Amino acid sequence: MTENLVDILGSPLIQRAILASVLCGASCSVLSVFVVLMKMPLIGVSMSHAAFAGAVFAMLLGINPVSGGFIMCLITAGVLGPLSDRTDMAPENILGIMFSFLMGLAFLGMGILTRTKAGAFNLMWGSLLSLSGPDIAILVFVTSLLVLFVLFFFKEIRLVLFNRRLAAATGLPEKAIYYTVLFLTGAVVSSNLTTVGGLLIFALLVQPGATALQLTYNLKHFFVISTASGIGACLSGLTLSYIFDVPSGSAVVLMATAIFAAAYIFSPKRNATKLKEREHE
Amino acid sequence: MNRHVIEFEGITVRKGNNLLLDNISLSVSSTEFVGIIGPNGAGKTTLLNVIAGFEQFSGTLSLFGHQESRKRDRQTRLRIGYVPQLFQIDPAFPILASEAVVTGSIGRLGLFRSPGREEMERAMRLMEMMRMAHLADRPLGQLSGGERQKVSLARAILQQPDILLMDEPTANLDIAVQKEVLDLICEIHTRQDLTLLLVTHDVTMLPAAMRRAVLLDNGKKIYDGDIDTAMSSETLSRLFQYPLETFDRNGKRFVSYD
Ligand SMILES: Nc1ncnc2c1ncn2[C@@H]1O[C@H](COP(=O)(O)OP(=O)(O)OP(=O)(O)O)[C@@H](O)[C@H]1O
Ligand SMILES: [Mg+2]
Repeated sequence: MTENLVDILGSPLIQRAILASVLCGASCSVLSVFVVLMKMPLIGVSMSHAAFAGAVFAMLLGINPVSGGFIMCLITAGVLGPLSDRTDMAPENILGIMFSFLMGLAFLGMGILTRTKAGAFNLMWGSLLSLSGPDIAILVFVTSLLVLFVLFFFKEIRLVLFNRRLAAATGLPEKAIYYTVLFLTGAVVSSNLTTVGGLLIFALLVQPGATALQLTYNLKHFFVISTASGIGACLSGLTLSYIFDVPSGSAVVLMATAIFAAAYIFSPKRNATKLKEREHE
Repeated sequence: MNRHVIEFEGITVRKGNNLLLDNISLSVSSTEFVGIIGPNGAGKTTLLNVIAGFEQFSGTLSLFGHQESRKRDRQTRLRIGYVPQLFQIDPAFPILASEAVVTGSIGRLGLFRSPGREEMERAMRLMEMMRMAHLADRPLGQLSGGERQKVSLARAILQQPDILLMDEPTANLDIAVQKEVLDLICEIHTRQDLTLLLVTHDVTMLPAAMRRAVLLDNGKKIYDGDIDTAMSSETLSRLFQYPLETFDRNGKRFVSYD
């Protein structure tokens, strides 16, 4: 059994899959801190569909799907950023329209593509087990960019997450930080089309942050817990998919949900609030 | 050094068909303490937002003697502190009260420098002075509305601004805490060379140091001058469309209503 395990871990294919899981988990879960604390899950979902639609059309045109996805994300960020900044329209409605439009676009492309190429479905589910060298290189680059951003601008990020208007009033380049977050969202989402795909990635953009939200009041710990739970979900999902031979994307998402459920049930924050409420009764 | 730090010339703010501010002219000198008073929807918050740089307007706005362009520069932002009207926060948001106060100093620090021990100590001293040191390690989202308001005020003061804009800083506070916060505002006003603009609709509780009132109604400035003159039963009753009485006792003017 142990020898068996050593054999498995020794295989370059598996090593690459493990690396892919760690990168996918890390990039999505660091980003999910922003998605959860800036209350922009709809932006996350729109961006992932933009990436998906962009990749599908890139495939149709015979160019690299990841760059197609990224370009589409940039366009979406360029439209969404200013729109959600406006106070005279409810951003939810615009995002809802945007999101369904992108989804329609993606499925239109899918319909045309599946007649010619079977590979299109991979963009929906991704696969941790079949990443190419360049795929991994892109993931390494995007993940490092994201981590460096958080490390270098931690204090600015804290205030922007807390209250964008106060951040602006305090003299921070709040807009620049917000647009960097949108840009990084596009980069993370499109580079992860290959790992968990354009549909399932949304789970990884929300659940790690939501898990951390159950567990800590410290923003540094928040990033750490989120990242740990994201990587944990990816690695355990990978293991399950290997053992039971099920699609890795679905296994990862189910594990992320399980981790969130556990955090929710055992949340000291929630329990403390409940206790307080009971005292008041 | 009594030049105007804030100068409005024909400032108008329009949203769709609504005229939020209608051709307002106003000058405020350095170290003045001005009350912006008016009923709900008068345009008080809009006026502060114009100064803070959050609102598109027509007309000319000059701050610290310079005419403002469309894009506010960082230096000007640093010099203006802002205490928003009731700010909401998710109860689970990961920030402690002391961390929230310290965020007031980070604009001054600039990029790539973290607030160190010095900033932390300054924040703690301020919180002690404001009698809120016991809140330092509590998550901000768990504080009461009034406690949060004090945190918000402390973070704006820590920014060491030249102009401090306060939007109903005492709404949500009980009478004792209202008095405490207003006294504190007066104390800060005398200690530092600070220009204060305080928005309120509560004319029964005005800080003693506030000597000038700007009355707003429906986006228009209807009075600008000495506060005691403004606090006449006739003016106030017309402004709030409700009969208000004023009387003097111990050299102070009081406002009351049925
Ligand atoms: N985005 C908007 N579009 C149209 N009208 C608006 C908008 N924002 C505010 N208003 C209107 O502008 C007027 C002034 O608003 P403002 O927030 O400045 O009032 P205020 O004096 O601060 O009131 P309060 O005491 O309730 O805080 C209100 O009548 C409000 O309905
Ligand atoms: Mg207001």
